[in-house]
Amino acid sequence: MNLIPEQLLLTLVAIPGALFISLGILWLLGLPLPERVVSRLTKGTYALLLIIVTLLGWEMWQSSTPLIRVSLGDWFTVAHYGFPLTLLLDRLSLPMVAFTVILAGIVGSFSLRYLHRDPGFPRFFLLLHLFTFGALLVFTADSLDLLIAGWELVGITSVLLIGFFQYRREPVRNALRVFSTYRVADLNILLAVFLAHHWFGTASWQGLFPGEWPHHVNNLSGHGATVIAVLLVFAASGKSSQGPFCGWLPRAMEGPTPSSAVFYGAISVHAGAYLLLRIEPLIRSSWIATCLVIFIGLTTAFLGTLVHRTCADAKTSLAYASQTQLGIIFAEIGMGWTTLAVLHIVGHAMVRTMQFLRSPSMLHDHHRIHAAAGGQLDPTGEQYDSLLPQAVQVWLYRVALGRGFYDSIVDRFIIVPMKKISQSLAIFEPKWGGKNDV
Amino acid sequence: MDHLSFPFISTGLASLAAGALIVLRVKSADKARQPALLMAALALVSFLLAAREVFAAGHGRLFDPLLPWFEADALDAVPMVFFAALTLVFLFMAPKRDADGRQLAGMLIISLATQTAYSAANLVMLAVGWWLTSLPFVLGLFGSHRGQKFAQGFLIASCVALTAGIVVLHTTHMEDLSHASLWAFGLLILAVILRKGIFPLHSWMVSAFEHGPLLPTALMFNGHLGALLIARSEATALPQTALHALNILGMAALVTALITSIRGFTEKKPRRLLAFICVSQASFILAGLATANAEGITGALVHWLVVSVASTGLICVVRALEVRVADAIDPQDYLGLAVKAPRLAAFFLICGLAIIGLPGTLGYCAEDLLFHGALENQPWLGFALPLATAFNAIHLIRLFGLLFLGVLPKHVIDIPDALPRERWPLAVCVVFLIAGGLMPWGVIGWRSSAAHAMQQALSNAPAVH
Repeated sequence: MNLIPEQLLLTLVAIPGALFISLGILWLLGLPLPERVVSRLTKGTYALLLIIVTLLGWEMWQSSTPLIRVSLGDWFTVAHYGFPLTLLLDRLSLPMVAFTVILAGIVGSFSLRYLHRDPGFPRFFLLLHLFTFGALLVFTADSLDLLIAGWELVGITSVLLIGFFQYRREPVRNALRVFSTYRVADLNILLAVFLAHHWFGTASWQGLFPGEWPHHVNNLSGHGATVIAVLLVFAASGKSSQGPFCGWLPRAMEGPTPSSAVFYGAISVHAGAYLLLRIEPLIRSSWIATCLVIFIGLTTAFLGTLVHRTCADAKTSLAYASQTQLGIIFAEIGMGWTTLAVLHIVGHAMVRTMQFLRSPSMLHDHHRIHAAAGGQLDPTGEQYDSLLPQAVQVWLYRVALGRGFYDSIVDRFIIVPMKKISQSLAIFEPKWGGKNDV
Repeated sequence: MDHLSFPFISTGLASLAAGALIVLRVKSADKARQPALLMAALALVSFLLAAREVFAAGHGRLFDPLLPWFEADALDAVPMVFFAALTLVFLFMAPKRDADGRQLAGMLIISLATQTAYSAANLVMLAVGWWLTSLPFVLGLFGSHRGQKFAQGFLIASCVALTAGIVVLHTTHMEDLSHASLWAFGLLILAVILRKGIFPLHSWMVSAFEHGPLLPTALMFNGHLGALLIARSEATALPQTALHALNILGMAALVTALITSIRGFTEKKPRRLLAFICVSQASFILAGLATANAEGITGALVHWLVVSVASTGLICVVRALEVRVADAIDPQDYLGLAVKAPRLAAFFLICGLAIIGLPGTLGYCAEDLLFHGALENQPWLGFALPLATAFNAIHLIRLFGLLFLGVLPKHVIDIPDALPRERWPLAVCVVFLIAGGLMPWGVIGWRSSAAHAMQQALSNAPAVH
């Protein structure tokens, strides 16, 4: 069989989606597959995806093709507006797609044992396949329109997995909080897409940034370009838990460990950084957007590293560590070091996934290392802390313990006023219809 | 004047009327449901055949050969089929306590009335259908409910406003921009505001959802007769002054969408929360129609179908839960019902995600078109509609969590998951929403000719001199 790269790319994206739909239909019809079948299907699927990615990479390397583009026409068209259905694999998306397939496969394989006989076993794998489909769509979309589709799918699967242990209150509450943050952040990307269409008549990468990554150039100009850049920076911040949206990541740790690994250590949180890399020429062309990315990145990295040191549980600590690294990646992108940022993303995703997957055994690992070091493990970081005055150390410690008071600020300045507005609007709903009105 | 090859419309309407008469006196739910379903299915087939002829003919109106004051065209043919299908879904889904002869007859009358309004070839017949939808509520076919006089008052007020508007229109010439025609359009818009529950007159709809019979209220709500009236008005050559009035109506719809979405933040009762979500999302239809461009109008017409199907799924699941667990009416804590009813949970979630426009569902395509159209014409709409959608999405997930997640109350020992009677209609809704989302060109194709006709009519609107 001699498949051309375009067909391979299409197959790569379609397989997890088709698997999700098939498993979903079987479950709804009351015919859930046994664990063993799901296990084989999952391993087989990710092995196949890995082969396809390898073939695609090999093809691009052999033929020195900088990119593979598959156009399936418009998904739907009305008058002058069409929703382009075009996939793109280039030097930026290839590493993202490769590590998505590898890490999702590893996590899938790990989860087969981790969730063995768990009542939520079929649900977890349904959502994992949907997530993989969404992530592949994000990384191979050739337009902002299509990217949003994958972006939203990644978001909703993330939320449903945070609430995976549905018989406890906290995961449910945290899932709602994360979903709310996502929705508000995603408003930015929606508006950016609409404005891109409105002002520049396109939202495709080719139209916005012609050329091959990393030598693509910015095609947008004026205040409109700055507005779109700022909106996309905020959207990326939402997905990567940065800046004004930095509070959701620790809450997301309520989900099962494998989902934490694949979403918040590996793939999902890096989708924001990927978006910034894609629009990097636009960011570079606007000093406002450039400063914003660097500022968001550095402040979040600082806060993240501070809080990380005071966290009592392993997963939350890892979440803040992820946030710190992502902040540094944001700053790298803001400074124009895109190749370094890609390397940083891939390396960070790999290491963090391993850390998350090992987190249930962290104490065991610690004792083993401790014993191997002859009981002499040096604490890290204290040498920097001691450079600061005592009062500042205490103040920073307090801020770190309060996790930057992020939740209190959001509650006080956003949620409470919103509820007050909501209550005040009840004046338009008179309490008609008393007991006698029957 | 072209005619249908067979009186499909009058057959469909007669089936619904006959069904209502047959089941009216039957007391047992088991005995009443079968004839009601049979007649509703017959009506569905009739409207389906009528729609097929309309699309085969290409464009224009096809009149019923038996009753020429009924017609089918590109605008109403699809909603007619959809509403007939929704009636079937409601009849299937109605729990036994909501399915005695009188209640099923009431639902069939609502269906008959809505189909009469859809297929009306003139405003008078539309008004007849409009009035008829109120009849089962006024006659008390669904029993006595708290606040029903309040809801009935608004329904009747909308009927009166519509009738007055039509009377004024018939006594003046539309080309004359006299005060009389302005009054007429004003009255028509008032009828729409009252009927659809547009801010600040939205409270009756929320109250009807909360206290009234849920399934019949939802059936009436999903008729979207207000949107039909606006779409019909747009398809005729309106004077510019009326277009300004439509713009104002679009803004009112936008305000409604936003305010009801904000109101949801302090609401805990599932019915009220659902009402806010449904009213907010349904307001998008009017906002889209007011954009006066092809994208916006097509998006609005597709969204009409999405809201109808998805809200039907949501409301039917909530009602199914209410009859299983009394706590579902006003839960004090998370109910955790997904453990016992995972399929109902899945149906609820998919319908909910479709109504808020998750990619992969038809709602996404509808909202994408709607937002694009809105931004092109009225930037405020383009900014505010996504905001309202985001809020509604938060409420939807909150409601899902409240009903299906958390700890199962100790007294809920065993409840059935979706029964076969419930599973298949809900599966049809879900398949439509997902298949429509994956292959939207079909559904958009059904609505694009109507949207094109409306856009043409709007662009040819005579100017004010």
